[in-house]
Amino acid sequence: MDNVKRRHHLIVRITHWVNAIALLVMIGSGLRIFNAYPAFARRGEAFCCYPFAGHKIPAWLTFGGWLAGSRAWHFAMMWVLVINGLVYLGFVYLHGEWRDLVPRRGIVRDAIDMVKFYVAARRDHPRQGKHNALQRLTYFSLPFIAVASVLSGLAIWKPVQLAPLTWLLGGFVWARYWHFLAMTTLVAVSFVHVFMVFAVDPYSLRAMVTGRYDEAKSPERRNARPFVNLRAPAPPASPPESKGSP
Amino acid sequence: MSRRLWLPRRHLAEKLGIDRRQFLALGAGALTSIASGGCDWKGPPGSGRVLRAADRWNERVERALYRHRAMNAAPAGARAAGVDFPGYFISPEVPVWDEAARGTWRLEVGGLVARPLRLTLDELTALPRTELRLEHFCVEGWSAVAVRAGVRVSDLARLAGVSADARYVDFQSFDDGYHESWDLDSALHPQTLIVYGQDGKLLSPEFGAPARVYSPVKLGYKSTKYLTSVMFLADRNGGYWSDQGYEWYGGT
Repeated sequence: MDNVKRRHHLIVRITHWVNAIALLVMIGSGLRIFNAYPAFARRGEAFCCYPFAGHKIPAWLTFGGWLAGSRAWHFAMMWVLVINGLVYLGFVYLHGEWRDLVPRRGIVRDAIDMVKFYVAARRDHPRQGKHNALQRLTYFSLPFIAVASVLSGLAIWKPVQLAPLTWLLGGFVWARYWHFLAMTTLVAVSFVHVFMVFAVDPYSLRAMVTGRYDEAKSPERRNARPFVNLRAPAPPASPPESKGSP
Repeated sequence: MSRRLWLPRRHLAEKLGIDRRQFLALGAGALTSIASGGCDWKGPPGSGRVLRAADRWNERVERALYRHRAMNAAPAGARAAGVDFPGYFISPEVPVWDEAARGTWRLEVGGLVARPLRLTLDELTALPRTELRLEHFCVEGWSAVAVRAGVRVSDLARLAGVSADARYVDFQSFDDGYHESWDLDSALHPQTLIVYGQDGKLLSPEFGAPARVYSPVKLGYKSTKYLTSVMFLADRNGGYWSDQGYEWYGGT
């Protein structure tokens, strides 16, 4: 029982779930907006880098119903997303959680070790703290992807009033493309994130809801890779006092 | 070995008193129904009020961001859209001014002005001409480059002597009552034109002949084609697309 520790502060949990909902709305409405012109080329020109031009995103993946509805949602939810993100970053900075998120020395080596472990080229789970090296790298990159999304979004929203920003991103056409790529990256990261929650550490779900996490069930203790050792080992008959340092 | 992995799947299935196979079938059904009917969703009931409040807030932000000196210039390397520029109108057919039935086309400049104007096309083209190579931004997400030639709305405003009470401008057309009203600032932007020429030629009917509004500071749907009058008003007067749910401000 002593193994159950407080892992996520209330503010982290709230901002996490607000972010999840806001991001879903932003992506769904953004895709519906994209469907009004599912291409990037300026009229009368070609665009190098999008092979699916003219193909709409399936309606069931979209949100907002029609162009104006989706725009209304997109331009309302953007405030929620940005303010929520700033609250999270501000909290993580002031409260010290950033130490668990910024890359440490040796992060590349540690990340390679994690990959080796996941592909079974290594037997034992590498030592980790709150997050493993791959998580650290991913979580640390998210604010940068977020900034890219916001800046490219602003460049599309205000290509005249914020013309220098749009110009910096290569113009309106490219700003739309960066915005789309940033979204694609966020979707990919989110898919992997949710997959890993269920395939490696379902116990972390509890931590993101109640805040509490059973360290005895951490992936490191379970030596867990996707779908391997999902179940926590049975507790020993007598509670051992010398179960290592926490 | 009695400790179970906590997975919502099992937990919920047990609560419902069904076995795993039934639960998975139910889950798949639910997901399918969400996917087919639930999405492409307009949002929960009551969200309209929140969205309208957000739109009012956004308009304040956009107005605060607005700068008279913020200019558009089509990127140097960009090709003019030419015939690939989408034509657009709401009438069943391309609206053409019927001179036999309606007399000579004139552009009316009225409302809160000291000297109302009724300009023929010749009179309009005789006014100081501004020609700009601009990138057009459509609400749908595409953009297109064209060279626009016309008269600055700010020049017309000076000519007509706009009253200090004017806060809005309504651009009206003969395209089935299409109109859009604007904030005065955007209408008086140096790149807001009453356009009569495009790509070196007189405006053709599919692009809004004989004259249309065009400004890079607004999304395309705010730029009334087939223009008949420019009315300076004290209050905003909605618009064809804004009344249907598109942002009234529609700034870029």
